[in-house]
Amino acid sequence: MKVLKLSTRLLNLFTALACFAVAGIATAYFFINEKFEWIPQTVLELAREPDLLKRPDAKRCSDCHQAIYDSWKASRHAISWTSKTFIEASENRTKEKCLACHIPESVTGEKPSPRLDRRDEGIYCVSCHFRDNKMNGPYDLVAPAHPTFRNPEFVRSEFCGSCHQKTFKEWKNTGIDDTCQDCHMPRIKSRLTQKFPFSLLHKKKWVGNHKFLHGDLTEKNILMEAEFRNNYFTLRLLNKTVPHAVPTADNGDPRLYLYITFFNAAGEQVDQAKEILAPQQETALAFNKAVNFRYRLFDPVDHANVILKYQPAWSKEKQTIWEKLIRP
Amino acid sequence: MKFFRILSCFIIFTFAVVLPTHAKDMVVKEPPKSLSQFYPPESKEPKWIQQMHKLSTHFGGVFINLKEKDFANVDKHADQLLEEYKKTSKMVPEWKDYFDIKAAEAFTQAAKTHDIAKAGKASGGLGKTCGKCHAEQEVSVWAQFHWPRFHKIKVTDPITEKEMGFDDYMSTISSSFKGVTVNFGEGQYGRSAKALKIFKSRFMEMKSTCSKCHTTDDVKLFYVGKIAESAFDNLAKELNAEKPNPGQFWKNVGLLGKTGCKHCHLTHRTASFIQETWEKE
Repeated sequence: MKVLKLSTRLLNLFTALACFAVAGIATAYFFINEKFEWIPQTVLELAREPDLLKRPDAKRCSDCHQAIYDSWKASRHAISWTSKTFIEASENRTKEKCLACHIPESVTGEKPSPRLDRRDEGIYCVSCHFRDNKMNGPYDLVAPAHPTFRNPEFVRSEFCGSCHQKTFKEWKNTGIDDTCQDCHMPRIKSRLTQKFPFSLLHKKKWVGNHKFLHGDLTEKNILMEAEFRNNYFTLRLLNKTVPHAVPTADNGDPRLYLYITFFNAAGEQVDQAKEILAPQQETALAFNKAVNFRYRLFDPVDHANVILKYQPAWSKEKQTIWEKLIRP
Repeated sequence: MKFFRILSCFIIFTFAVVLPTHAKDMVVKEPPKSLSQFYPPESKEPKWIQQMHKLSTHFGGVFINLKEKDFANVDKHADQLLEEYKKTSKMVPEWKDYFDIKAAEAFTQAAKTHDIAKAGKASGGLGKTCGKCHAEQEVSVWAQFHWPRFHKIKVTDPITEKEMGFDDYMSTISSSFKGVTVNFGEGQYGRSAKALKIFKSRFMEMKSTCSKCHTTDDVKLFYVGKIAESAFDNLAKELNAEKPNPGQFWKNVGLLGKTGCKHCHLTHRTASFIQETWEKE
């Protein structure tokens, strides 16, 4: 009888504790997500981690933001200072003009200044998110470890245009509403932090992909029309879907290579031509603006083989976008 | 006899070794390594040249204000000049002997008398220290820190798609150019037209090459811009004509040579020669 009584009491105690815990979590969840402005500043100050306001390295940010860190780590931004292509192109990083955007101190919508510390981290968390002693981002929220500030610039193309100035101008001229972030930082609903218990206490939010996706070109993006007429072969290319030039770069040298090979009826090659479409040669494909190429045919031609390849600025490898056989 | 032998040895030794080089002889040697801390990437900005500008501004500021009789600003610039001069003298230890702090102090004191003649006289001693360093080091510093290294630039040949050094690419482009002109001179217009396509492709590749340093279109297109484009169009038109006009052909060749090759070579080759010599040593 006594044992039963004790068990019942224990059960009641556990139930009460569980109820308190659930109520506590629910209250915390409510305050953190809905009424965080009610949380007294003095309480938050107790939870602050001061080193976070001393321009920490990216790994330190990963203590809480592991998922974002992982995607950034796989990005070109993470190797903007250490990539072989950059080191070669900047003459072992001595070209002053390259430094600002490869090791920005603070990205604010204007061309940044270069920094002297943590250069191996390239364009890292602090470069974009740390300003005025707060962590800036697209959301108004409470993070006990550091003060946060909702900065609307984070969802605007102007922010990316701090460094990608030429591309930003190209995009602006298209009049398309989709921002840089819409395409290159596609959002998924997930948690901003993976650190327990904050991972449970924060609502899921739309979080942008910090790998800064480059986007794969396909025949849906670059349309081609071609025809044989009066001893000429004419070819037309159209960047139909990408709202900036393709390829685009402020200082890098990405390229599209267009190869045209002409064959006679016996299948023998009779002539060939090549076009290089590159931003630095002012030949990149502007958005929705057809570009025509015309080739004189000196010998009878049965068909032409047309291949479009893409070579990013950071690689010597070319990827085939499409290959087409054109007959008269 | 022995006396004359000794005398001739003495004369040869005196003229060949002991006597200093003539004023017009210039030795362009690499600047000290410690200077690199004042240039990117070690420094955020080119601090050395900025320091030179500071000295120059304060020195000029003294005389401008003396002429304007703005003596408060004369004193201000004189003090700042002395301060910056002292600071500069400590920046590159290998160059400390170029600086004469007493001459700088004498100039500051002379400037503060607000007598332009006295300041002018005292500026001579100070100016000499600047002039000596500039005469011996300025070309080296510019060649080392202000001109990027051409021979480190890699160019992808648009024809073979192989990457090559800048010097080799210049030879390749030059050969392509000769393919156009030599064939034309021989009346082989078809071959010349074919060579022109290759030459144009290689020439236009320079837009990418120039953009490795020149980021503004005005500069980038200075060598490989509209004049070059139109010269190429005119050359193609001439070569595809039934009877090409040599006058027109050579006129356009001249335009390409002048706007593309000559302008670039005039601007860049001297520094490139110096750098190349250092690299070979």
